[in-house]
Amino acid sequence: MSMDLRIKIGNKILPNPVGVASGTFGYGGEYEKLIDLAKLGAIYTKAVTLEPREGNEIPRIVETPSGILNSIGLANVGVTRFLSEKLPALAKLPCAVVANVAGATEAEYMAVVERLESAAQLWGYEINVSCPNVKHGGMAFGTDPQQIERLTKKIRALTKRPLIVKCTPNVTDITVIAKAAEAGGADAVSCINTLVGMVIDTAAKRPVLPAGTGGLSGPAVRPVGVAMTYRVSRAVSIPVIGIGGIMTADDAIQYLLAGASAVQVGTGTFVDPSIPVKVLEGIVEYCKIEKIASIKELHSRFSQP
Amino acid sequence: MKQFSATIRGNYPLSTGFFELEFTWDKAAPLPEPGRFFTVRVSDNTIPLLRRPFAFSAFDGNEGTASMIFQKRGHGTGLLSAKHKGDTLDIIGPLGQPFPMPDKGKKALLVAGGIGLGPIAFLAQTLRKEKIPVSMVFGCRTASLIPSGDSLAASGTVICTDDGSRGFKGTAGDYLKSIERSVGSGTVVYACGPQPMLKTCHEFAGRRGCACFVSVEQIMACGVGACMGCAVKSAGGGYKRACTEGPVFNSRELQW
Repeated sequence: MSMDLRIKIGNKILPNPVGVASGTFGYGGEYEKLIDLAKLGAIYTKAVTLEPREGNEIPRIVETPSGILNSIGLANVGVTRFLSEKLPALAKLPCAVVANVAGATEAEYMAVVERLESAAQLWGYEINVSCPNVKHGGMAFGTDPQQIERLTKKIRALTKRPLIVKCTPNVTDITVIAKAAEAGGADAVSCINTLVGMVIDTAAKRPVLPAGTGGLSGPAVRPVGVAMTYRVSRAVSIPVIGIGGIMTADDAIQYLLAGASAVQVGTGTFVDPSIPVKVLEGIVEYCKIEKIASIKELHSRFSQP
Repeated sequence: MKQFSATIRGNYPLSTGFFELEFTWDKAAPLPEPGRFFTVRVSDNTIPLLRRPFAFSAFDGNEGTASMIFQKRGHGTGLLSAKHKGDTLDIIGPLGQPFPMPDKGKKALLVAGGIGLGPIAFLAQTLRKEKIPVSMVFGCRTASLIPSGDSLAASGTVICTDDGSRGFKGTAGDYLKSIERSVGSGTVVYACGPQPMLKTCHEFAGRRGCACFVSVEQIMACGVGACMGCAVKSAGGGYKRACTEGPVFNSRELQW
């Protein structure tokens, strides 16, 4: 029995459930010599904004126990160069290319999506309303359900492509955020983005990151991501994409059992670029042993607490 | 670049806290060059999590081995210092840009500070093979921190110690000032070491009208240009990635 790996999101199909998370995989080409990009289910691009962004003050990264804290600040080439320089190579791949879209205002998000609509090769959009490292837009949108619903509705009106809203965990109740995205017409939600954290240099008596706080990712956040995926999966009827600290197939299977229909590997790719492909192979192996034929069946096997 | 499993051929203590690690270099991977680097996953555990970047200190094409010099400073380098001959290492490399060779007829002035010795020693070896005149300066705090001091001195390297316990008393930068008048536009400066030393070299080269190439250090996550984490400040405003545009830069490209 072979497993059906395909996942339907909106009006399109992901070839398999393992993608690589936005911000950890550049525009794909950076990793093409290290892994077979064709084996990935989806590449979620570095966030795309209307204008190029230089990013935040340095240093931008500090390692924490089983994690990293980052303050990159959406450094990216902007939508014009994304379309002319980055997308052509990505578009040749059989995996889904999902543009992660960010902006400081509703108008900026919409302008980016309008520009990207001209690119026939794009599979869909992941709306980044959860970046903790920018002053405007990002998480400022993502913590207010009314703004999320309104923004999602406006983008929904611009595109028929799969629309995924990436949720922040830095709220009292992430299900409120996910439900607002669903009400606005999102085809899926992805969770979680990074958790706000701080590391202090005790000799200098100031935060290591010039911005003060950064976003925590890596295996340290995995149990938080699994719990939030579990709760969100029960709160919405659209597919959930699980993200947070996936290093092994077992980690990914936890997300799938919790209710995720797909997953994204992020920080794990930095540690070992072969992890996304190994995760997919491990999921297939697990399902073979457990005689599970689809992701849906995996969901049904989960024993509710 | 290629990801492969290397076998450690030796892990030799050089001086207090300094080690030279020699490992097999995959035949299918591009050859190491001075200034380029590789990343190592130092353990299978999640602490430490990120791969660690290291510059090549040597490459032996006959033996098929590459080397690095490292200082035991934190958890990652502590684990590396405990590795033995026969252990394996998860390597990705070569990464980044190499030191460019000097234009024809020019000579090279190499400046290394502390652990910056690795890539500078590799560059010296490569330049000498090409019959390019090389003079080399090495600086560190005190005599006990000089990696393989005798072979360094034998190669004609000027050794500087902050406390004067060996060689010139003062920093490598202080030494440069003492030879300032003898250096002109026929020289190319190459430097790797602490940020203040690199800045001194950049300013020195500016005054003497010579080109200066520096290898910078920055915390890295991916090492391949994807994460934008290892940014360094560019002279023209904005940032460059140490892992892909660097780690070797013409010093005029950077903001000091």
